[in-house]
Amino acid sequence: MDTVVQTLVNALMQSSFVALMAVGLVLIFGVMRVINFAHGEFYMAGAYVVFWLYAQHDLPFFAAVVAAMIIVGIIGLIIEQLLFKPMRENPLGGLIMSIGVLFILQVLAAVTFGVGLMKHIPPLYPGATPLFGMDGVSVPWQRLVAFGIAVLLLIGFWLFLKRTRLGWALRACAQDREAAALQGMSINRLALIAMGLGAGLAGAAGAIMAPLVRVYPYIGGPVIVTAFIVIVVGGIGSLEGAVLAAVLYTFFHTFVATYLDGTIASILGLLLMLLVLIVRPAGLLGKGEKV
Amino acid sequence: MRRSSRFWATSGGLAALLALLCALPFLVALYRLDILIFMLINVILAVSYRFLTLAGEYSLGHVVMMGVGAYGSALATKEAGFPVWVAAPLAAAFTGLIAFVLAFPLFRMKGFYFLIGSFAAGEAIRLSWNRFRDPFGGPGGISFIPSPEIPLPVLGTVDLSADPRAYYFLCLAVVIATIVIFYRLERSRFGLTLHAIHWKDVLAESVGVHIWWYKTFALVLASAFAGLAGALLGHYLGTVNPVQFNLHIMLFVLVWVIVGGTRTIAGPILGVAVLTIVDQGLRGLDEWRPLFYGAILILTVMFLPHGLESLPRRAAEWWQAIRSRRRPPVSEDEEPPESDRPPPRDA
Amino acid sequence: MAKKGFTRRQFTGTAAAAAGAVAASSFGAPYVARGAEKVVKLGFLGPLTGEVAGWALPGRNACLIWADQVNAAGGIKIGDDNYMVEIVSYDNEYLTDKSLIGAKKLVLEDEVKLVLMLGGTDAPAAVQFFTKQKMLSTTLLPSDLTPDTLYHLAPAEVHPLYNVTGVEWLAENRPELKTAAICAQDDELGWPSVATYLAAFEAAGIDVVYNKYFDIATTDFAPVVTAMLAENPDIVCLDTAYPDFVNLLCEQLFLQDYKGQIISCTLDFYGRIIEKTSTEFLEGLIFQFPDFDDPAMNEPHINFENPNEFFVNYNERFPDAWSAVTWEYPAIAEMWRLAAEKAGSVEPMDVFAALKEGGRGPHVFGDADWWGEELWGIDNALVGNWPVVQIQNGKATIVEYRNIIDWWNKHGELLKKHTAEQG
Repeated sequence: MDTVVQTLVNALMQSSFVALMAVGLVLIFGVMRVINFAHGEFYMAGAYVVFWLYAQHDLPFFAAVVAAMIIVGIIGLIIEQLLFKPMRENPLGGLIMSIGVLFILQVLAAVTFGVGLMKHIPPLYPGATPLFGMDGVSVPWQRLVAFGIAVLLLIGFWLFLKRTRLGWALRACAQDREAAALQGMSINRLALIAMGLGAGLAGAAGAIMAPLVRVYPYIGGPVIVTAFIVIVVGGIGSLEGAVLAAVLYTFFHTFVATYLDGTIASILGLLLMLLVLIVRPAGLLGKGEKV
Repeated sequence: MRRSSRFWATSGGLAALLALLCALPFLVALYRLDILIFMLINVILAVSYRFLTLAGEYSLGHVVMMGVGAYGSALATKEAGFPVWVAAPLAAAFTGLIAFVLAFPLFRMKGFYFLIGSFAAGEAIRLSWNRFRDPFGGPGGISFIPSPEIPLPVLGTVDLSADPRAYYFLCLAVVIATIVIFYRLERSRFGLTLHAIHWKDVLAESVGVHIWWYKTFALVLASAFAGLAGALLGHYLGTVNPVQFNLHIMLFVLVWVIVGGTRTIAGPILGVAVLTIVDQGLRGLDEWRPLFYGAILILTVMFLPHGLESLPRRAAEWWQAIRSRRRPPVSEDEEPPESDRPPPRDA
Repeated sequence: MAKKGFTRRQFTGTAAAAAGAVAASSFGAPYVARGAEKVVKLGFLGPLTGEVAGWALPGRNACLIWADQVNAAGGIKIGDDNYMVEIVSYDNEYLTDKSLIGAKKLVLEDEVKLVLMLGGTDAPAAVQFFTKQKMLSTTLLPSDLTPDTLYHLAPAEVHPLYNVTGVEWLAENRPELKTAAICAQDDELGWPSVATYLAAFEAAGIDVVYNKYFDIATTDFAPVVTAMLAENPDIVCLDTAYPDFVNLLCEQLFLQDYKGQIISCTLDFYGRIIEKTSTEFLEGLIFQFPDFDDPAMNEPHINFENPNEFFVNYNERFPDAWSAVTWEYPAIAEMWRLAAEKAGSVEPMDVFAALKEGGRGPHVFGDADWWGEELWGIDNALVGNWPVVQIQNGKATIVEYRNIIDWWNKHGELLKKHTAEQG
């Protein structure tokens, strides 16, 4: 029983940061139609910002998280302005750009911070608390903090998209770019906002996970793969779908990893995703692609 | 008359290229032949990949298909005792069969869904090599794979893998066959229909084209050739392992094809050749190499959005512009549409 | 339009200038030996980029420091000549094909006299080429050795054989511990190590109640630990895992309130793990690697010059980039230097003969025997004593040196059985 509850806790904590990665990716893909392979490297960059400011320069952890969001968001803006914008009508060009960015960011992290063991980022809140008096189940404080920040960011992001004019425009653009352009929206401006927000959220995801995971120049790989799976299962245009799929996928993966093993969990996770796509070729909450 | 003179020019050019390719192993230092061998194998991979994309869908499973061929041929020779000459084509056919099975779920999807769906299918296969040590050998893969041998009457048995020059010519022969087959196919009715599907699949279907069969045939054929490339790689190295077929390598195939250009069959070939040389040239930079490689990718796509294959035309334009003392037309907005392929849907 | 073109050109110009500056500053003179002196080149073939880089790049950097130290001291003395050392590296990206290209480049173009490798999946084709060329090469993974790899040596690490010493010590000193749970990373480090631990636990009469692998792409170790603890083991065995994984696994064990014995192959930077957990939590943990800046490493039987000073130098030049195997590469290079001076030649086969002379060699932890015929089919691994290390009062302490071959003579059949079963 304890094992089941502990696994539920493990999965819940993990799902929040996956959701954070996925919504950013959905936004970027929706508005710009660029498959951003460098999204995992944004996550990596966010983690390094926390290492640099919080672990090396003793800034408060929360300030470092905000700084990570801003810095990675700015990196996103620069990439959009210099690299993605000229490729607007050539999505494959955008893809190559993102691969180029991926290589460059990895090398920069490796030569700036060194390649060796993972960066030492002591948790701000060490230790764990038993869950509601269940001695066999522990909830680590730092994970709880990460979970809280992720949920707050997701709610904030959701409110922004649903309650503001700009958010409305972004959603409209993500669903139908041509129609949005016809409405007189500036695609370039929306793309900048999408890229800044998407990259910022990935940076935030990396920042909150930094004390919990291995901070290393090549950590983006497994994360981007998970994020791609999640946004496809959720349905590409759909932010709610991305969050739903993040939770479903993480729970599935965590339970199989606990009761069978991690590699089997990855294999079954991929097959499950194929199964979902066979039944619903546009994902759980996707609207289907325009032909 | 004009057409025939152009025909002669093209044939002459190809003959000269072929002569150069045949002379190459005797011109470059022996130890550099390996680079050329792997380059030829990658040409098979890239050319077949471009064919698969003709109908408009980009796959992320192609390198795993190469792995299916490599593993298949390794097991067929090592466990079942087939000679390489039988095992490699068998493995290629088997790869085609796997692709055929995968076509059922995958071609329900389009665009980005197809891209990630194909990745999922491939990655599930690749992780199985990692997970099931019997028979795939786990993370270490399979070693001591037999090499192709030619029994000769007087000289005895010649081991092709032990002689880079011999293996180079084997690969060259396969590459030429691959290029001819895909070139002819693209020009055939079949290829034209694929292009048509890319342009307007609903329209094609409405005039009675069975899109699924066309796309599936393209996928099966391309995968079979990827499988053959894998077999060539495995028998030369004598070892295969799951790392050789991961997403990172797949990204390189995408890069070769897109940076080379997708308009003609020359694009991916050019992409592989140029980027292989660039990569080798950057080796001395050690841990800095990917940064410069990434920068070169970005600059190439920026200045040659239609790939390296468009370089001659762009160069001519620039030359023209300089001669007429005008600024060259830098912006793509002013550029006449040169591609007869529209950008892929969403991908 | 014009503005757009300008921006792009400006960007390109900046990028090119930056690239030039970087190139000039980092590929300049430091590795190149001076003027007319004789130079001997040593090759380094391993992943300098990509996920496995942490196992090779720090080692390459350590070799650069070693080369500078040797050159500053006048180089290698061969007869009347002084040779300056130059390290030539090739990034094989941990891929078999790149490895073969690199092997041929290093041997035929650069004419190196020794090739240092990490070993593992990238090695087979390259090592086969080295054997054909009569080139001396080394690995950190003796599982790379086969009867055909004649000149391929494992002179520093005898991973995972030495893990038996820790289990044996534990069985003798804490006989009340009866069950163990093993989690292992699913790769060429993890698998042979599991076989070794299974054999060692069986020899010690300890039941293994859980034994599973985790993917090396694992980012969250909570499920792994939850699954292990569900079996209520007396001992948790972390097998041979990447140091970062050991760190994260220990943290999870602490957070999920585990209080039993832990045994692991490595425990790099355990101070950082203590900082994340507690001194009490880590107390009594058994592993196999002593501190490199430990004063005990300066004892005379240790075959590594000034380990403390080396550690300090390394951290000055490459801050925060030390890893478990960093010191093993220069240790091998130093062993090669001594053998070359003894042989009076830098030619690979002369040095090889000098290294293997008498069947004994100067291992880092004391002189040891060339061994391995019974396990890998060739006596190319340097095997002798290995330290059992325990955390006592938050400090790694060598509790005993045990002889690996003694264990083998008693329980060798068990290890053969488990090695065959693990595949």
